[in-house]
Amino acid sequence: MSPATKAVFELVPYLLAFGVGALIPRRQGTLERVAIGVVAALSLALVRGLWPAAADAATPAVAPPEEWPHLLNVIVFVPILGALFVLFLPRQTPALLRRVTMGVLGLDLLASLMLLRVPMSRGWHFQYVVDWLPSFGIRYHVAIDGVSLWMVLLSTVTTPIAAYVSFGSIKKRTKELCFSILLLHGAMLGAFVSLDLFLFYVFWELMLVPMIILIGVWGGVEKIKAAYKFFLYTMAGSVLMLAAILYLVWTHKSLAGYATFDYLALANVVLPRTAAWLCFGAFALAFVIKVPMFPLHTWLPDAHVQAPTGGSIILAAVLLKLGTYGYIRFCMGLFGGPAWSAAANLAGLAVGGGILYGALVAWRQDDIKRLVAYSSVAHMGFVMLGLFSGTRPGVEGAILQMVNHGISTGALFLLVGVIYDRRHTREVREFGGLAKVMPVYAAVFVLVTMSSIGVPGTNGFVGEFMIIMGTFVSLPLGSHGGLQAVLAAFGVILAAVYMLAVVQKMFFGPLTNPKNAQLSDLNVRETIALAPLVALIFIIGLFPSLFLERTRDSVQVVLERYTEGRKSFQEMDPSSTVARLLPRRGGALETGYPEPPGQVDAKPPDPSTPEAEAALDPQQGQP
Amino acid sequence: MTFDVVYGLSPLLVVALGALLLMLAEAFGKPNPQGLAPTGEVSDAGAGRAGELGMGAAVVLFVGAALSLGVWLAGPDNLVGLELTRPYLIWDRFTVFVCFTLCLGGGLSCLLAGGYLTEHEIDRAEFFPLVLFSTVGAMALAAAGELLTLFVALETMSLGVYALVGLRRTPRSSEAALKYFLLGSFAAALMLFGAALLYGATGRTDLAGIGQAIAAIGQGEGPGAAQVLIALVLVVVGLAFKVSAVPFHMWTPDAYEGAPTPATSYMAVAVKTAAFAVMVRVLLIAFGDERLTSWASGWPPVLATLAVASMTVANLVAGRQSSVKRMLAYSSIAHAGYALVAVVATIRSPAAEGSILFYLLTYTVSTAGAFGALILCGSRGKEAVSYEDLAGIAKRHPAAAMAFSLFLLSLAGVPPTAGFFGKLYVFQAAIDAELYVLTVVGLLNSLVGAYYYLRVIVFMYMREPAPGATLAVPMRSGYVASALVIAAVLVIALGVLPNVTLEWAAIATVGRS
Repeated sequence: MSPATKAVFELVPYLLAFGVGALIPRRQGTLERVAIGVVAALSLALVRGLWPAAADAATPAVAPPEEWPHLLNVIVFVPILGALFVLFLPRQTPALLRRVTMGVLGLDLLASLMLLRVPMSRGWHFQYVVDWLPSFGIRYHVAIDGVSLWMVLLSTVTTPIAAYVSFGSIKKRTKELCFSILLLHGAMLGAFVSLDLFLFYVFWELMLVPMIILIGVWGGVEKIKAAYKFFLYTMAGSVLMLAAILYLVWTHKSLAGYATFDYLALANVVLPRTAAWLCFGAFALAFVIKVPMFPLHTWLPDAHVQAPTGGSIILAAVLLKLGTYGYIRFCMGLFGGPAWSAAANLAGLAVGGGILYGALVAWRQDDIKRLVAYSSVAHMGFVMLGLFSGTRPGVEGAILQMVNHGISTGALFLLVGVIYDRRHTREVREFGGLAKVMPVYAAVFVLVTMSSIGVPGTNGFVGEFMIIMGTFVSLPLGSHGGLQAVLAAFGVILAAVYMLAVVQKMFFGPLTNPKNAQLSDLNVRETIALAPLVALIFIIGLFPSLFLERTRDSVQVVLERYTEGRKSFQEMDPSSTVARLLPRRGGALETGYPEPPGQVDAKPPDPSTPEAEAALDPQQGQP
Repeated sequence: MTFDVVYGLSPLLVVALGALLLMLAEAFGKPNPQGLAPTGEVSDAGAGRAGELGMGAAVVLFVGAALSLGVWLAGPDNLVGLELTRPYLIWDRFTVFVCFTLCLGGGLSCLLAGGYLTEHEIDRAEFFPLVLFSTVGAMALAAAGELLTLFVALETMSLGVYALVGLRRTPRSSEAALKYFLLGSFAAALMLFGAALLYGATGRTDLAGIGQAIAAIGQGEGPGAAQVLIALVLVVVGLAFKVSAVPFHMWTPDAYEGAPTPATSYMAVAVKTAAFAVMVRVLLIAFGDERLTSWASGWPPVLATLAVASMTVANLVAGRQSSVKRMLAYSSIAHAGYALVAVVATIRSPAAEGSILFYLLTYTVSTAGAFGALILCGSRGKEAVSYEDLAGIAKRHPAAAMAFSLFLLSLAGVPPTAGFFGKLYVFQAAIDAELYVLTVVGLLNSLVGAYYYLRVIVFMYMREPAPGATLAVPMRSGYVASALVIAAVLVIALGVLPNVTLEWAAIATVGRS
């Protein structure tokens, strides 16, 4: 069979899906039919990508497909270049702007699906390294592993949905909207794949401005206050993180003789106690604000309530994940010792302040969006608890729960946006008996609620179960692990209480408010946006191993680094004020390690000769 | 030999020659009948020709910048003839880098003035010769290696600026000019007094010689040591006035607000840059003695206090302003504070001098751009100065708002703009020098700073103008637009690919012993 025919055969299922999607709904225009068809085909591609390829199973000897090194560059820079391109499009053609944006996001989604073709073994994948600012030791270094893979996919799946929803409800200043969404998307992806701390910081900060514009321009009544709050909270964390990064780099430079911002190199630095605690604190503060964890969560409800639906979806689904992702990658990777020692206390905070307090506050809310925002605090508490537990099921569950939270909370915000577009209120008491007028909407809402509270069979169950299991046997949490697991399980019940209470008040009972009598059910646009999320709820709920298999090896690596960091931290004399540099591990985990300048392609020079020392150490040659 | 001197000093000479020519052109040129004031009064012959003269001045300054680049590439060390000018003018890589920054800042300000003066019908084309002469003084100041040269250069630079501030002849402008003149003269007098004491103590006027003499006086308890300390205090105070560090900043907001905006831009970028250059040279060469650079008995704690005070006070006050122009004035004080952090870092970090130069360059392009964007947002009779004037301008004039946001983000230090790298370099130098507290204070201050820069963006993008308020109408001017384009390109280029500039800044040192 020639490759061309094979390719045609490969395409058949997608064409079928496209056809089915395009033909089934009645009374729609051609454009909408095409759009539904494309969504169906893309969803199928996503699902097929998730499954381990059947063809490979039949011929196990087939080597994994080659990794195209520029794939991550494409994924990150297509949206950023798209944002710049949008700037040059005429403002008077909103339809064109929207189509270009959706096209770019769709392209990005397709590109990110290519990531699934490679099994996520130990080490880095799709690595791409190039010097950026050699005089500072800053490189453009991107790569993914089993942790960042899911974060990338989560953003490439949810951002198009958020954009699509936004285009439905926002009709003014489309150009700025398209620009912000695309830039935000690119920056988030960049932050997830950066392995250079400087690069990470650049993307981290780059996210701020478009998000502020999303909140501040299209937000609600208090939008400006919410925008300021979001900005100041995030910035406060990140400036201290910058100080810590600079300190780490300086320490590495004084130990190894050359400056580098590279994650792999800095992970080998063992700081003295005080410095390690301070640097860990600075990093953790930045991430904990972003997550957000109690008591630094107060920006979140404001930001969520004021942001437009699309902004809320991106914020909940992806932006908060940067905090947890950053904690896994940087706090646990760079400062294993302090992270381990602080885990028990922080876990208490995650359980008490996040899971329980968040749930109780959510229960008392009258505004549905605020309720979902606080439920977000509770869910992120679960994720953090899983990370603090430092066990394999805990961390794997946390990563899975990050994806789950993105899907279910994203869907909840979308659903809240649907009702807000129709009634322009989000007060729970305004509604009641909606199931009679909006049956499909009610069904989907109940389903997403089930996922959010973790009913077995949906995605939420798997993640929360694994986290609680991991907490129970956790080593760093010690004797508190059991208690915290029990309390976390109690938090699941609370989640059911507040979510089901609101479902009951809104959808069942008599239809009291006459304003609700004429509400229309989900329209095509909303259905298209919701369909992939609903599908994912079940796919993850029923086949979690598709996700866990790809994270397993990377979680193993994360935990190895974590325990290793803790060991070297505890071996250190508490009164010591001298930093150490661990020897290089080598192997797949350190491909792309920054070589000292001057010996990138040559073999390592003999350190006994004076010239070689000078070559190793140009910075210290100066007085 | 002669060629070396002429080529080496060509940026200075070209600007001086250009200033003379422009002065003649302004005095003897034909007034433009279309551009006269509505009263028909002809105040001077250059009336109505601000645009042309501005273009001329900008071309001269950009040629100066290009020549600085040429001298840099040739390498001032290779031009052996330049030894002739020592110790009066020390023409090293440090000077050439500063000259480039000065010419760039001056050129951008002249372009802005070309649009601004025409739009607001300020028929005072002497603006341009004044800027050029002042730039000559600034370049000589950056190069000065001897106290008398230093003083003459300082006065040359300052006199031009005093006149620029009072250019408008409104009461406000005159008040600002008088204030600036009085305090500036006072500061110059302090410096002169300090110089006299130094001469008395050491018998030398060249900085290197003073440095050696002070090292020789050493730990002595004699009158010489006390005299040197008093001189140090006076010189530092005089320089702090010029860089407008808190608590010697009182003139800054008034002078910046009262001056015509292009003059403000020039003061904020060029005067400050030259003052920092001379500060670094004086402190490191004349007061570079081991004892005076130590934390216990020298200038570092004084400058660190000035730095913390400048950053903190200016940032807090800037947040309370209702006028954007005044906010930018306070922001320039805060930026002086960040640069002072780097000055303190010079005691232990060899990278700190480069970080100051790079910081000043990024500060120059961002500040000139920000003032330029502010100029662009207003037109005749409706100059945009307050936050309210800018409300909702993004909807009406997206390009102006976008440019303004870019420069503000750069000032706030948000990557990937030039300002971010400037700050990063400064704080990295500070960490290298183990100044952790200063670094953290500086970073927290940049958070406070980000708040009021963001406030402008919030007004532009998220607020609507109050009903009945007069809407600011942006002007249309090719000069202002081209200045903004140049500045914006530099802001992005220095933010994304700063590598060459960083490497150059790193080797531009004052060559302390």
